Amino acid sequence: MVHNGQPIAVEATGEKMLVELYRRFAGDYPKFFKMDTLSRLGFIAAEILLKEPIPSDRASRQRIANSQKPTAIILANRSASIKNDTDYMATISDGKYYPSPALFVYTLPNIVTGEIAIRHQMQGETSFYILDKPEDLEPILLSTFHTASADRKNIQPSTSALAGWCECSDANTFYAKIQIIWNN
Amino acid sequence: MEQLIEQLKAQIIEALNFEDMTPADIDTDAPLFGEGLGLDSIDALELIMLMDREYGIKLADPKAGKAIFQSVRTMAEYIQANRTK
Repeated sequence: MVHNGQPIAVEATGEKMLVELYRRFAGDYPKFFKMDTLSRLGFIAAEILLKEPIPSDRASRQRIANSQKPTAIILANRSASIKNDTDYMATISDGKYYPSPALFVYTLPNIVTGEIAIRHQMQGETSFYILDKPEDLEPILLSTFHTASADRKNIQPSTSALAGWCECSDANTFYAKIQIIWNN
Repeated sequence: MEQLIEQLKAQIIEALNFEDMTPADIDTDAPLFGEGLGLDSIDALELIMLMDREYGIKLADPKAGKAIFQSVRTMAEYIQANRTK
């Protein structure tokens, strides 16, 4: 666990690690406990990342202050929402057909972007991509800051984006690396 | 009835994934929705599933849910009167 190059010690392992980090870095958002593991992972990563004002230089801070344009949220991973999909499937198997609505609402990976947007009131575009590797996200991020394509010409380009890799393949295997990128 | 209320609280905590909550944290007579536990429509569906799964109760009339889910006590009273298992 690293934030801005500084390691953060955690005692718990697996999914419990996210609960420990929630209590340490948030603690005021009970909806966290309703989220699936992927959403918890993205939520906690964003909480830690956004704890401090991100830009360190005056020009960036001024650009934010003057900007009415929204911040985008663009995440990607390789396994989509497979962990939650599996959990949901377990509720409709073995002859006990009691599908869980609370699990069902998280059977899409892009829900995590919505959870972050709601929490931090980010009103820019949100999107979630299923990619082979984190490097594949780079050209997508570049397009976020342009208005060249026809379907985007009436949309204000974002001035910044919370972006990165947010991967969860099972309860004990997850990884997130997110950052704020700016349109210079 | 008191035993059913305590059991129901534990089942609600498990169904809704309130993992840092204990049955003692839930006020038996507090509203389940809005104030109190602050549940939402998805949680309401979970409670309907819980009543079916644990007590064999199928809610045929969705409008009846408003009265049944007022509080843990009203849920327990309905379960006691209508349970099939």
